[in-house]
Amino acid sequence: MRAWIAGSLVVLCVAILLADYALAPRQPFAPRPAAEQKRVTDARLARKARDNAVAWVLIAAAAAFLTFAKPLVKQPNPPPPKTRRSQRGADALVRARPPGRAPDLDLTFVDQAVSQFGRGKEAAIPLLQAIQTHYRYLPDEALRRVCELTEITPAEIAGTSSFYGQFRRSPVGEHIVRVCHGTACHVSGARQITEELRRYLAIPEGEDTDAARMFTLDEVACLGCCSLAPVLMVDGHTAGKLTPATACEALKVTA
Amino acid sequence: MKRGPIEIRIGLGSCGIASGGEAVRDALVRAGATVKAVGCSGMCYREPLVEVVGADGRVATYANVKPEMARNIVRRHERRAEPPAPQTRIVLENCGIIDPLNIDDYLARDGYRALAMGLSPDEVIAAILGSGLRGRGGAGFPTGRKWALGRAQPGAVKYVICNADEGDPGAFMDRLVLESDPHRVLEGLSIAAYAIGAAEGYLYIRAEYPLAVRHTREAIRQATGRGLLGRLRLEVREGAGAFVCGEETALIQSLEGKRGVPKLRPPYPVERGFRGQPTLINNVETLACVPWIIRHGAGAFAALGTKNSRGTKVFALAGKINRGGLIEVPMGITIREVVEEIGGGIRNGRAFKAVQLGGPSGGCIPARLADTPIDYDALAETGAIMGSGGLVVLDDRDCMVDIARFFLKFTQAESCGKCTFCRIGTKRMLEILERLCEGKGRTDDLEKLETLADYVGRASLCGLGQTAPNPVLTTLRYFRDEYEAHLHERRCPAGRCPALIRYRVTANCIGCTLCAQACPVGAIAYRPYEKHEVDERLCTRCDMCRQACQDDAIEVL
Repeated sequence: MRAWIAGSLVVLCVAILLADYALAPRQPFAPRPAAEQKRVTDARLARKARDNAVAWVLIAAAAAFLTFAKPLVKQPNPPPPKTRRSQRGADALVRARPPGRAPDLDLTFVDQAVSQFGRGKEAAIPLLQAIQTHYRYLPDEALRRVCELTEITPAEIAGTSSFYGQFRRSPVGEHIVRVCHGTACHVSGARQITEELRRYLAIPEGEDTDAARMFTLDEVACLGCCSLAPVLMVDGHTAGKLTPATACEALKVTA
Repeated sequence: MKRGPIEIRIGLGSCGIASGGEAVRDALVRAGATVKAVGCSGMCYREPLVEVVGADGRVATYANVKPEMARNIVRRHERRAEPPAPQTRIVLENCGIIDPLNIDDYLARDGYRALAMGLSPDEVIAAILGSGLRGRGGAGFPTGRKWALGRAQPGAVKYVICNADEGDPGAFMDRLVLESDPHRVLEGLSIAAYAIGAAEGYLYIRAEYPLAVRHTREAIRQATGRGLLGRLRLEVREGAGAFVCGEETALIQSLEGKRGVPKLRPPYPVERGFRGQPTLINNVETLACVPWIIRHGAGAFAALGTKNSRGTKVFALAGKINRGGLIEVPMGITIREVVEEIGGGIRNGRAFKAVQLGGPSGGCIPARLADTPIDYDALAETGAIMGSGGLVVLDDRDCMVDIARFFLKFTQAESCGKCTFCRIGTKRMLEILERLCEGKGRTDDLEKLETLADYVGRASLCGLGQTAPNPVLTTLRYFRDEYEAHLHERRCPAGRCPALIRYRVTANCIGCTLCAQACPVGAIAYRPYEKHEVDERLCTRCDMCRQACQDDAIEVL
């Protein structure tokens, strides 16, 4: 609101100044009687004083506008470190979607899941799977809630959730890219695919998610499409017979 | 024009979808055809695959169909594929022919007839025993004996479990059968439940197979709705990504919600398994054989194959082969026949080097032993195993040390950590192999590798640890010269190990800059019409320049 007021003040001041300067040269200079000359001179001086005042107001209003309008303008993402040609494509992909929202820890889903799968120890894996599908990882709060509601102890839930490769204890990017590293994919160049994707998404060494938290790169044992090797899966979509270049293309299905 | 086609089928298994099958289906529908979505027929290398059954019952198959071709297919027949090489289809009998989501399709092809034949449990077990069927999951235990043990157990509460935790990288027959013909597995499981007297069954399916899970759930719903399963209650449970859960005791632990850690056997699950009750666990492919055996009689099944390995086996043919996909062949066929006749030989005309059979538990069989017949015993003699049927073909550009390292990395990561030798032994073996691949091997590394392999194999509780050294032992046995080249000469004969190779531009270079454009790290300067050069310090050995070059001007040293 304050930005609007300051903004309109800026516009008003600029309009006054422009009008004044547009009118000024239209009065041709000519010898005039003394009284008339005095009136014109006074009018000029008055206009000059008014313009000075208006200019000061303009400066103040502009400063106020810039200050107030700043929060209204969205911060652009800091550009990822430049590596090479493929950077532009990755950049466009990242911009195409807003960054992932912070997981809201509304635990009512956990309650529903428990009522669906039961409270016994056997329900542990289906429960964890449902929670992971819903929250996209296993938030500590949700696991604590499971222990409160069921017969499963914290030790058991920690044991089970850390044993199986499917479960993740930390948040993931917007999209999960599973690169198959089965035998057939290995001999057909899965390593090159993974390396190229890491470069393309500029994922830092030792991490699996890019800076904008758009893509999480996961190496999996086998996706079962061996005759199309090498294969990757973006969310639910499988792409096969990849080369490093087409692997990067395959990510675009998400954009 | 003659009468129009009566049925158009399109393969929409995982592989069909990954090859763009859904777009083709939409195009066919737009072209005015009625399309039936079926599972995969096993010709994965030909996907998307469209079959047109004419009014005269003749089937025309179109391969690698693109959406643009849909109109022409509906109008006339174009781009015919040659029929797949002669195979014997028992497990894959219906795959790619029926709509997996429609129980009537399965019923129309004698589905659930075996269940309705009214044999007594003892007659069923006798038939399975007589057929000589052995477990298709890897170990090859006679199925009939397992069932007889299950039946002999006292107690009113028994369970049957279908093991569909197909974790073996390079094998995908269980996925395909469940996606394309789920009712067959349900029928097999119901027969097993009837034979041992169980009222509750589980299908433990790998979570990486979402389509198989969906089709199986739908099939259970339909079969239960029709009352075909009687009092048997079936449930699908999804695995959670642990290879070791393919081991039966670990699978049971996982079903009970615990960490999938194997237990000491005996007691075998068939005596005391899930919830402490007698539990019969069979693999998907084993169960898929059962309805056929009951319908055609034990003799018909036993007539196929060799003395100790009866019937057929499904193989997932992948790797450097022209026609990859799923094949079903009678036992006793030689590896050469599979690779050359059914698989169509090696891709890009390269030399056949070896086949990797049985995944991380199996081994590599060199090309010179390609006349080995595929049966349980003959394969065991070579040091490999039948395994679940992953058959990955390797050519002369595959490094055997790298293959051994790959499998050991897998078993090391998947070891549950219970047995010390499996937990730490595989780690030490992996370190040695990594050292060799980096050209930092030590003189006694090969002996140490053999000693450790022996210890790990003997001192582990379950199949994972016992068979973990197999890939190393078989490659050491048949390709020792490659290990020695890595160790003594610091050289990778196949030109595969990144630390031991260099890329160089030869005199063939015409200065076309294709390699410079392809290089992801800028190791080749962009200088048109000049001979290019690879900057050793920047090169990551990603092989993209060699693949991009049209003039064969990049060599690996």
